[in-house]
Amino acid sequence: MQVNILYRSSQTIAQCWLQPGESMLAESGAMMGMSTNVQIQTQSGGMMSGLKRLFGGESFFRNTFTAHGGNGEVLLTTPLCGDMVVLECGRSQWLLQNSAYVGSSYGVDVKTQGSAKGLFSGAGLFTLATQGQGQCIAGSFGAIEPLPINGDLIIDTGHLVAWEAHLQYRVTKATNGWIDSFLSGEGLVCHFTGQGMVYIQSRSTSEYGSTVGALLPPREN
Amino acid sequence: MPHHIIKHQPVFGLLEVQLAPGEVIVAEAGAMVARAPHVEMDVRLNAPTNAGFFGKLKAFVIALIRKVVAGETFFVNHFSSPHGGWVWLAPALSGAIRHIVLQGQTMLFSAGAFLASTGNVAMRPRFGGCRSLLAKEGAFFLETSGSGEIWITSYGAVEEVYCNGSYVIDTGHIVGFDASLNYTIKAPGGGLVGMLGSGEGLVCEFQGQGRILVQSRNLGALVNWLIPMLPG
Amino acid sequence: MQTEIKFNPDFAMVRVQFDAPGEQLVTESGAMVARDTAVQMTTNMRGGLGSALKRKLLGGESLFQNTFTATAPGQTVFVAPAPEGAIEFVDLQPGQELFLQSGAYLCSTPGIQLDTKFQGGKGFFSGEGLFLLRVHGQGRVWFSTYGAIHTVNIGQQYQGYICDTGHMVAFTQGLSYSVNKVGGLKSLFLSGEGLVCTFQGQGRLWMQTRNPGALASFVHPFRRVKVQTN
Repeated sequence: MQVNILYRSSQTIAQCWLQPGESMLAESGAMMGMSTNVQIQTQSGGMMSGLKRLFGGESFFRNTFTAHGGNGEVLLTTPLCGDMVVLECGRSQWLLQNSAYVGSSYGVDVKTQGSAKGLFSGAGLFTLATQGQGQCIAGSFGAIEPLPINGDLIIDTGHLVAWEAHLQYRVTKATNGWIDSFLSGEGLVCHFTGQGMVYIQSRSTSEYGSTVGALLPPREN
Repeated sequence: MPHHIIKHQPVFGLLEVQLAPGEVIVAEAGAMVARAPHVEMDVRLNAPTNAGFFGKLKAFVIALIRKVVAGETFFVNHFSSPHGGWVWLAPALSGAIRHIVLQGQTMLFSAGAFLASTGNVAMRPRFGGCRSLLAKEGAFFLETSGSGEIWITSYGAVEEVYCNGSYVIDTGHIVGFDASLNYTIKAPGGGLVGMLGSGEGLVCEFQGQGRILVQSRNLGALVNWLIPMLPG
Repeated sequence: MQTEIKFNPDFAMVRVQFDAPGEQLVTESGAMVARDTAVQMTTNMRGGLGSALKRKLLGGESLFQNTFTATAPGQTVFVAPAPEGAIEFVDLQPGQELFLQSGAYLCSTPGIQLDTKFQGGKGFFSGEGLFLLRVHGQGRVWFSTYGAIHTVNIGQQYQGYICDTGHMVAFTQGLSYSVNKVGGLKSLFLSGEGLVCTFQGQGRLWMQTRNPGALASFVHPFRRVKVQTN
């Protein structure tokens, strides 16, 4: 599969080109458009796997797109304005923030990693992990900035997109004391150590959601 | 003056600042993206550094007003380290970050535009007049003066318009302007039908000569655009 | 008059500079960013009450449009839409038509007409208050998108193209189109049920890279909950 990332860094889409008979997977709802010779199939991978995906913030359904009778094109997008990056899986594997998954080539499996290392305050408690060989497309809110770690680094968890699976990390509050954490506006931070690549996004969905949400009329439920 | 870079303009402006040992940068609460581990973060009231008790109390009351009306937060974060270090800051909405060096002149900025500052910068709220209370965004302007650097954010890209005589700007699109300009906040015009039907919010009519920074998006308009699409 | 689109594709804004007094620009209500004080703004129900009501009820456009008239040469007006994204313009000659998603109309020169009453526009968008507009006349029309604009030339690069209706902005005459629900494209977005449109023939399709329904869906949980009073 060939992936072209267009319109970086805020209105980004992934233009995926499939060979005849080749398939790819995408988050349901991520499809913006496709050529008429591509066929879609829903795949939930079984009830349990689907439910776990639902808890992770991903939709229950993941769709398979297959090109027939010629090369096919699928355009993928994200719900918010933002950027995308193609993660090469094989020699390295990646962990992703739960809503960052956009799509992947057929040889890559993406599973929820329910863990006690609850990383994201308010954004669900699951991360996704890649396995296999191929490409995984991650989307962000905000521009994606690569941040190579060589030693250690502190990153606000709302700004995490994806990171190499072999990095060590520890989640802590941003400041000492709960009151300071609340007042400072900073939530949880992630302290990474080791050597590897982290992709961060220059905006935080919870900050944006709260800012806009506060101005909207209240909802019924 | 700390060394800084602004990346990913104009959509998702990200401010990266390299602090020298002992240098302090004051930033809007919630703006931190990442920092070097030895940089300390202190939560403080947004008051001048040498304010006494009454100074702090006054700052507290102003902060309360600003929070309720102007959308500025109560508290700011002071970042510094005895060894120096770097901090990455970003605002909540999408848009650009603009760097302004103040050397004694005064500029006014709309509420919510403040991201960070260093040096000796004083900020006071300036009331926009009674009519301005009707506009969520327009009620207060932040008057900044002194010497130092200030980083402001905009929702959208920033266009600099030079007012030479008289110019009208929709209040939701104002980022900042030179204090040399006189301004009046008024209804958009077009008579009664215009007021009800034009869809335009309040406008600010500037008189005189000076620079106006205009942002190409308006949070109020986004909210109005979203409302019909929301469920109950 | 001279026009320029600035800040594409993220926060696009149109800058118009009038060359002579009497020149006019018609805009969507609420779209004005800034203008010279001496430019006159009048609000009207363009095309009369009937057509304006139709647009309001069916088209998602507001009832009113604003007309800006220059009173001296060199005056400027800036126009911007509500969501983040790009702006594109199309020049039309008599006999040419453009089909435009109603929420995308931004502004136009006075010779352009907007028509909602035509067959074939039905069922395009499910319950979003959006409708298809038929744009014709002589002049220039600007439309805005949520996200960047992605153009597909059907007939040349592609034999046919399928587009999620939430991402569809505009298309030229000469294309045949049919709207259907695609089974399994169940999305959690408000705009619902995976409605897609299949285009074939010869023509150009403009798409936006972001879906407004998805943004509405995203912010919804951040709203305060209404307190029940009884």
